Amino acid sequence: MRIGDYKESYSADEAVFRTGTVRVWMLLLFVAMAVFPFWAGPYLLYMANLTGVAIIAAVGLNILTGAAGQISLGHAAFVGIGAYTAAILTTRLGLPFLICLPLSGISAAFFGMIVGAPSMRMKGLYLCIATLAAQMIFEFIFVHWTSVTGGIRGINVPTASIFGISFDTEFKMYFITVPIMVIAVSAARNLFRTRVGRAFIAIRDRDISAELMGINLFQYKLYAFATSSFFAGVAGCLQVYILKIVTPEHFPLHESVRYLAMIIVGGLGSVLGSIFGAIFMTCVPEALQSLLSLFQGIDDKIMSYLYPLQTVVFGMLIVVFLVFEPHGLAEMWRRLKDYFRLWPFEH
Amino acid sequence: MKSLRVTLGVMLSLCLVLGAGAALAADTIKITAQQPLTGRFAFAGKHIHQGLADSIAYANEQGGVDGQKFEYIYEDTGYDLKRAVASFKKMVAKYSPVMNYGESTGEGKALAPEINSRYHLVYGSTSFSQELADRAKNPYFFVSGPTYAQQFGILLKYIAAHPKTKGKTPTVAFFHSDTEFGRDPIPYAREMAKKLGVKVVAEEVTAVGAVDITSQLLDLKRHNPDYCIFQGYVVPPIPSVIRGAKDFGLTTTFMGTFWTMSKMLLDKLGADGEGYMGVMPYAYWYHTDVPMIKIIQDFNKRHHPDVKYRPNSYMQGWFTGMVYVKLAKMCKAKGLPITGPNLKNMIPQVKDWDTKGFAGTVSFKHSNATAVGKVYIGKGGKFMPASDWIYLDK
Repeated sequence: MRIGDYKESYSADEAVFRTGTVRVWMLLLFVAMAVFPFWAGPYLLYMANLTGVAIIAAVGLNILTGAAGQISLGHAAFVGIGAYTAAILTTRLGLPFLICLPLSGISAAFFGMIVGAPSMRMKGLYLCIATLAAQMIFEFIFVHWTSVTGGIRGINVPTASIFGISFDTEFKMYFITVPIMVIAVSAARNLFRTRVGRAFIAIRDRDISAELMGINLFQYKLYAFATSSFFAGVAGCLQVYILKIVTPEHFPLHESVRYLAMIIVGGLGSVLGSIFGAIFMTCVPEALQSLLSLFQGIDDKIMSYLYPLQTVVFGMLIVVFLVFEPHGLAEMWRRLKDYFRLWPFEH
Repeated sequence: MKSLRVTLGVMLSLCLVLGAGAALAADTIKITAQQPLTGRFAFAGKHIHQGLADSIAYANEQGGVDGQKFEYIYEDTGYDLKRAVASFKKMVAKYSPVMNYGESTGEGKALAPEINSRYHLVYGSTSFSQELADRAKNPYFFVSGPTYAQQFGILLKYIAAHPKTKGKTPTVAFFHSDTEFGRDPIPYAREMAKKLGVKVVAEEVTAVGAVDITSQLLDLKRHNPDYCIFQGYVVPPIPSVIRGAKDFGLTTTFMGTFWTMSKMLLDKLGADGEGYMGVMPYAYWYHTDVPMIKIIQDFNKRHHPDVKYRPNSYMQGWFTGMVYVKLAKMCKAKGLPITGPNLKNMIPQVKDWDTKGFAGTVSFKHSNATAVGKVYIGKGGKFMPASDWIYLDK
């Protein structure tokens, strides 16, 4: 039980992990993440890898939408750009994974800035429609620029390899995905403590006052688009190496909506929220599916109703969470922590 | 709190009971499946699943393989590649199956490297893609029928043998969607047409479910082909193309491949369905003179008494089940243990297999696809045989 939280210096006040308890818990979390692959089977590791990718993409979108307040309906397209960049660079030019990874991010960031350019003139729903157009345009390019993207057939990608080690199993990929996810999350967390990150928040809260404070709106909005797309690009690159194939079908509009749902369910503007949201949106459908397969073999007729029902239940869960906690899972987590802070002596 | 404990207790005991059920069935030949029971492919997925499940249940009724029973375990994927791959990995880890059924061409392609190098299990699927029938590249994969390319080959063979005017080179147009499904067989079809002396006069491409097909229709009118083959659609825009062509006074015979040979399409076509032709790898539900169809109808009567009709996607599932059973029986007959690699080695050895009239006499000769099909014609709302089984490999 903690009873006092006194800080004696400014650096202690600005620290990410402020108390000893938090640091111990974080250490435990890292130990758990390190031990997990040795305990889990290929299925759980595959899900962990997918969740890692979703977290990176969601954290990216949260920088743009949650922090800088620019709604984007084109996030899946940026993940797609990262994915295609990686696939093209490794299959055509034979570039290694470690070079493809940053290049995927950079190319997505480049296109992100182009898409973000209308934000100079537009905001709110209008900008949202502009990003929707970007989603459509990139999807069209993925399908129709056959000579480069392989069209609807897509591109098969070889396994990632670093310094001669081939990352051909989920177990090995875990040691790529999770460290990159940790780096991405800490980068995002630290971004909000810098001038740029605070400028994003100022723009979101009131763009006119932000401009009065000397923030160049256009420049910072472009930064937000670039950073967010960079994260998306990196996520796309990892996704390609996990799935070993990229086709336009992986980046439809509803995938963009899914990313938006992740950050809304998790908690807008919170890094922790993006993590929770990504885990929720990736793992809950799987959990529902596993729950259903327990009933398999009892009666096929019931199953034919239960399977479609899981989509409905998943939708309801999202609505229920939002009704009871509009600030998302991150806020629920905060309240849970507060409850246990003085537990069992709450009165 | 008490009610929570009760709920948890009930759930836990349920898990234990179900878990015990799974543990009892240890000595079975396990077949796992990722089925698109929800999502946009569900219209076919639910029938394919039922066909496969019934086919395996029927094999078990017949005693399995020398008394060893099959066990069919499936999951829904919502026709989502990420979920399908996850489900595959989960099921492989949990059940160690020797055979698997996949939900899409995409899943097969994504899993191919790992199945060939790590998982070593025989893989059938909803797909008729050429890539998955390539034995040299993907020895563990088979296609439950002729590939789309082979289906075009069968149709072109039929066209070459049935010119509209005697002594005149028959002409054909390809009408396909702008998708992998639509484009897959076209290059092969062009080559095959050349070889058989059929002239390809037009190739029309549309988006899936295209509404405005005026320009394609005008082009068709200009070339007035004897035959026109659809590929890459399920229903639209086929009814509007056929109706439009009739309005223009064209005498073209329209043809389809597996997915456009369904009752669903024939019902939509109504009177325009008379004379609509196409290739199907299997017999239809109402062809009661086919011994295997009799078996299927009898099985349904006993287990699903309220069922009046089973579509061609059900037949795809049933036939895939037949292939699984055949491979397992071949292994056993040779005294080999039923493992993925052994089952894979049996695929090229399937020769002149009598399917009781259901899918002709099947051999996996040059590729892991059957290369056989029958041409059917729409008559009074049903598809009736217009040819005998046409073999491409013979």
